[in-house]
Amino acid sequence: MRFASFEEMLRYHAVRTPQAPALKVGRGDTVQTVSYAALCALIEERAVALHATGKTCLGVLCDGTLACVIEIFAAVRAGLQLVLLNENVDPAQIAYTDIDLLWGDAELIEALAPALTGGVADGKGKILFFTSGTTAKTKAVVLTEQSLCASAFNGGSLLPLEQRDVLMCMLPLDHVFGFVCALLWGLSCGACVALGRGPRHYFDDCAFFRPTVLSAVPMLLGFLLQKQLLSASLRLVLIGAGDCAPQIPAALRAKGIRVSFGYGLTETSSGVALSLGDDPYAMTVCPDDTVTLAPDGEILIDSPTCMMTGYYKDPKATCAVLKDGILSTGDLGVFDANGLLHVTGRKKEILVLSDGTKIFLPEYERALAAVLRDRDFAVVESGGFPVLVLQGAETEREALTAQLETVMKTLPIGRRLKAMYIVHDPLPRTATGKIKRWALQQKVGRQ
Amino acid sequence: MTRQEIFEKTLEIVHECVPETEAQTLTEATVINTDTAIDSMGFTLIICRLEATFDVKIPDRQWQKLYTVGDVVSAIEKRLK
Repeated sequence: MRFASFEEMLRYHAVRTPQAPALKVGRGDTVQTVSYAALCALIEERAVALHATGKTCLGVLCDGTLACVIEIFAAVRAGLQLVLLNENVDPAQIAYTDIDLLWGDAELIEALAPALTGGVADGKGKILFFTSGTTAKTKAVVLTEQSLCASAFNGGSLLPLEQRDVLMCMLPLDHVFGFVCALLWGLSCGACVALGRGPRHYFDDCAFFRPTVLSAVPMLLGFLLQKQLLSASLRLVLIGAGDCAPQIPAALRAKGIRVSFGYGLTETSSGVALSLGDDPYAMTVCPDDTVTLAPDGEILIDSPTCMMTGYYKDPKATCAVLKDGILSTGDLGVFDANGLLHVTGRKKEILVLSDGTKIFLPEYERALAAVLRDRDFAVVESGGFPVLVLQGAETEREALTAQLETVMKTLPIGRRLKAMYIVHDPLPRTATGKIKRWALQQKVGRQ
Repeated sequence: MTRQEIFEKTLEIVHECVPETEAQTLTEATVINTDTAIDSMGFTLIICRLEATFDVKIPDRQWQKLYTVGDVVSAIEKRLK
């Protein structure tokens, strides 16, 4: 079913099956269910209160709770601009996106209050996601409830869920993959979404909620498999937002679980293509999307219903990637003989880590250059983590590590350098002076 | 409980959760991400076990700011007081 708004989507199910479970949440040792009818009522009540505040832009510090989900839907219902944030938000992101009201942990809101702004005049209908793994300098993507609903429709039309399905939501809602594929996909299909209880419960959420469907990033799945934490009730796993070692889908299949890979970007409101057959890397393009390849193999996407409006207050950056409605993704791909899309690499200087976060290399390397100064160095990916390759002598390792520590301490653990490779020779460069990352990547791969 | 006792118990839990670290000599100065085989999921497991063992709660958003083994010990020590 295609919906034009969150309200239409939830009301549709609330009218047809009012008592059907929309959400499952943990309350101590018990699972509490919220029906579609009850969810609609809770959202409506909160929307009235939000509207009465007179505020114009709500920043939600997403913690994945029931109250958080209600706040998100209520803000849109109340006509506020909505910005989805993680709890490690940089105050500059709040100022940049014109937030005049925050929801979340009280202590955190107090700390962030000085960054609040006077609001925005034309924010109604805008839902902002920061591109994953970003800092304050990076971009906020403007989506709408229409584009997000269309993305959920796309997913549901290729991988329909049933009312009896329980979709496990263990992903952060400030990430578009989490928001669409671990929440909206389920609600759009009239299924039940189990709201995970946070990182402390990664270990027992599957046993607690007994989901039939799980959306996850490769690192989380690898962990759940290794620790044997997946419940026997699972029938389908959707993997997205990061490169995935083939052992993971193989292990899932060995358990009789169907595996699907998703490819998408924040700019396209998440999914553009999904794998449906035996080969998890061969993906069918979603109904609303048209994918073509540029002469150099870059994936180009035309998605009238799911495409972003643009980057927030950054028309120059928008024009750089979006021309005549067609997005240049920076990803490389090929079509196989069956017309299925395979993503083969990246053209942009972005690393996608195994937990789904992204590193914008020029920005990351600029931060390192502040302490490494004129050293010849580059950052590449190895085993799902960023690693540093630097010209120098092994005897300098300790001093270099100490220099880097000041930068690393400012980064979340998943984005810190995992290793440093010190090489004797200058780093390989092209005729125009650009570092040959692929050559370094190969070198690191052989270590 | 002394800081040294917290440190020793922390090491015990780190080794249990990520057996690959057993061959390493971990000190308070050991950088978790760079110097060990602990990835972010392993780190989550360690923190959860530490919280249960010491009966403390380190707010989720503080987890990302723990850089060295010593930072973890300090976070526990602060909350035990």
